Amino acid sequence: MIVARSPVFQLGVQSASPLAVIVGVYLLFAGHNNPGGGFAAGLVLGAVVTLRTVAGLQRPVYGPTLITGGTLLVVAVAAAPLLWGDPLLDQKVVSVDAPVLGTIKTGSALPFDIGVTAIVVGLVIALLDGLSTSEALVPDRGSPSPHRSSS
Amino acid sequence: MRNMTWLLLAAHIVGVAAAAIAGRRSMKTGLVVAAVAPAATTLFAASELIASHPERIDELAWVPGLDLTFAFRTDALALMMTLLVSGIGALVFIYAAGYFSDDAAGSSRFPASLLAFSASMLGLVWADSVWTLFIFWELTSITSFLLVGHKNTDASVRTAARRALLITGGGGLVLLAGLLVLTGEIDSSLTGLTPVSGTGASLAAVLILIGAATKSAQVPFHVWLPGAMAAPTPVSAYLHSATMVKAGVLLVAVLGPAFADVATWRWLGLAFGAASMLWGAIGALRHRDAKLILAWGTVSQLGLLVTLLALGSDKAIFAAISLLFAHALFKAALFLVVGEVDIRTGTRNIDELHGLARSMPVAFAVATAAGLSMAGVPPLLGFMAKEAAVEAVLEAPNLDGLLALVAVVSGSVLTVAYTTRFLLGVFGPAATAGRSDTEVAPGRAAMTAPAVLLGLAGVVGYIAAETVTSLVGPAAVELAPGADAYTLIRWPGLKTAFVVSVGIVTAGAALGALLSRRSTAIPRPVGADAADASIENILAFAPRFTGRIQHGSLPVYLATMGTTASLAALPFVFDLSIDHLTLWDNPLQGVLAVAIVVSAAAGVVVRSRLGAALTLGAVGIGVSALFVNHGAPDLALTQLLVETIIVVGFVLGLGHLSRQFPEKSGSWRAARLFMSLAGGLVVMTGLAAASAAPTGVAPIAELADTAVSEGGGGNVVNVILTDTRALDTLGEVVVLATVAIGILALARVRQAEVLT
Repeated sequence: MIVARSPVFQLGVQSASPLAVIVGVYLLFAGHNNPGGGFAAGLVLGAVVTLRTVAGLQRPVYGPTLITGGTLLVVAVAAAPLLWGDPLLDQKVVSVDAPVLGTIKTGSALPFDIGVTAIVVGLVIALLDGLSTSEALVPDRGSPSPHRSSS
Repeated sequence: MRNMTWLLLAAHIVGVAAAAIAGRRSMKTGLVVAAVAPAATTLFAASELIASHPERIDELAWVPGLDLTFAFRTDALALMMTLLVSGIGALVFIYAAGYFSDDAAGSSRFPASLLAFSASMLGLVWADSVWTLFIFWELTSITSFLLVGHKNTDASVRTAARRALLITGGGGLVLLAGLLVLTGEIDSSLTGLTPVSGTGASLAAVLILIGAATKSAQVPFHVWLPGAMAAPTPVSAYLHSATMVKAGVLLVAVLGPAFADVATWRWLGLAFGAASMLWGAIGALRHRDAKLILAWGTVSQLGLLVTLLALGSDKAIFAAISLLFAHALFKAALFLVVGEVDIRTGTRNIDELHGLARSMPVAFAVATAAGLSMAGVPPLLGFMAKEAAVEAVLEAPNLDGLLALVAVVSGSVLTVAYTTRFLLGVFGPAATAGRSDTEVAPGRAAMTAPAVLLGLAGVVGYIAAETVTSLVGPAAVELAPGADAYTLIRWPGLKTAFVVSVGIVTAGAALGALLSRRSTAIPRPVGADAADASIENILAFAPRFTGRIQHGSLPVYLATMGTTASLAALPFVFDLSIDHLTLWDNPLQGVLAVAIVVSAAAGVVVRSRLGAALTLGAVGIGVSALFVNHGAPDLALTQLLVETIIVVGFVLGLGHLSRQFPEKSGSWRAARLFMSLAGGLVVMTGLAAASAAPTGVAPIAELADTAVSEGGGGNVVNVILTDTRALDTLGEVVVLATVAIGILALARVRQAEVLT
């Protein structure tokens, strides 16, 4: 990709990405009671993918899988209450008493949010894919591109 | 049993999947698997009718907030239609197993689409809410498109399928508009309708009748029906005789009570019906393809049904329901016979078919029974139904009754004429002496048996007139309570109606025998050509129009959007009031505002593209800091993350562009400056006006309560997103996913273009 792949940048992105993934997952679960949520989590995870792609650590892949998977999940969660005779998108709240962790309360909003996250990440990957396609294949128009590394 | 309708529909859906899988082995296997669900549904309808259960309604709240429910009812009318849809459906599946050869193409697709159509049709006849009805109405359009276009390698078949889809689909849109108007006047339920009146009712009547006319092939929307004969004959027999084309008639019947007092409904219905009855019959007399004769005859018969329903008297409705039942039986039988003739002789042209009465005696017997039933000759079911129709129009008073009488009598004469011509043409001896009989291949039991059953039904229906009355009578009573006074009569004796009938049959038979000797030129399908030409014109116009508005110039897009948004926000200026404006809630907001303004100003003057991207990022971060300061951490978090991704995206995209903004000429620069200033001003005044004019009490307290009690979460914003307004979120993410798929597809196209 375009940005110079300096080792410092690569190393920085590489060591930061696990932390950023944790933040993203935290935001996903925290969203019910604190700032966060599926959209924010998707953006954080999308940013991780973007940075890793820019740093040359990975290619933007699995976009279609995430988009279709996310959409199917969201639609399934939305339609599931119909099977029990409840209206579309009716929220189910489940509370579980687990040892060590204490009471865990969750609901059908969680898989819904996971689906949203997957779609947002998939969208970011799709954008990256589109950009990288044009980047790799469009012939150089002769404009000065000082950012392009020769390596 | 409650919820039986759901179970049966679920069985159809499972059957569609099973038929698609079984169809991979062979067409026959797929069709036999597909026949199970309709057969079960027929048994259900028959047992309900025999046990004479009271009508039941199965309901499912779909979106309670919008008053959208899936509601199915199984009253006498719905059960009678179920008997036709599923009973004839099961027979057609068996017939198709004989019709197709084992190596037929599309063996996985065809049985599944035919069963999917059958399920859509069931949903339509069971629907008890206008919206449920509309959904299944559209589903029948789509599934029938797949069926008409079955031979998708043939360009003319594709054209015919597209024409059918666009006409019935366009009619669906008109119907939707009509239903929206109608539900402004009445409830969305389809039973116990109260008469409506007024301008709204007249408008709804016109729109709904047009929608019904497109589906039921009424002149001038009939042009898709003859073209749809490009479908395999089992499809024509099922869709274009018994079921789909009856959907429009059924709609007119079901909504009739609501429009009882609307003159527009009666007159437009009579106009559609009378025109179709006559023009359809004339069409049937002009064509030489046996299947086209029947198709045009269907247009004519549907016209008769619409005429009777538009007339709206108790007797007319009783006659219409009886005829609808009789027509489904005899027309399906005739189509099945034509399919058999086609398969065994290789032609459907009545000029090339000679002496089939000798070589195909069973088919001849079935066709004669069904044809005479269509012509209204005793001792057949069609006679009793036609007799009721003639009596109904004879009794009808006033001008509309007279119009209906003229149309029904002349339409019936022509019907007898084309039936005679059909029977003589297909089965009779050669018109010119010396032509040898057409060669006939051996028969197939799977094709003969269903046709024989349907043909016999017309005879049995006459003998068991009381049973048929107990079937169609209650169905008619659902629409007109006074219809229970009428029964089907085997032999009326020398009454006016009977004398008229004798006259009709005599005149028609003479005319048909005369015309069958003449070989007229096959008429050009003028209407279909005109419809195709307009479709082609629209298709040619669309890229020109799109090319004009989607020119691909990013600055012009932005200018258009910016100017439009500015103009749209202009009215808010008048809501502006200085009194409500305060400098700041706390001084930190001032500091942030200065930082934002400085960043924005830097973005305007900076000449490097990267610099501009970064200043925009700074503006965004400043705004999210403002959100934090205002107590909206969720908003701030999202804003921050979006800004981050956008800046990275900018950096990626900037690689393709020069480092600096190019010099722009004075006038374009001035125009952009003006637009930017106008946009900024409008947003500013808009926001100020919005904060100056709060309406009502802020709903935050209520939202916070329901968030914890119903959504089970403390974060009100996210509970709104995932629960309270989850339908909106669902819509948004689906849009997002669609956009993403679009981006990927465009990227792939570009990749392919560059590589080749």
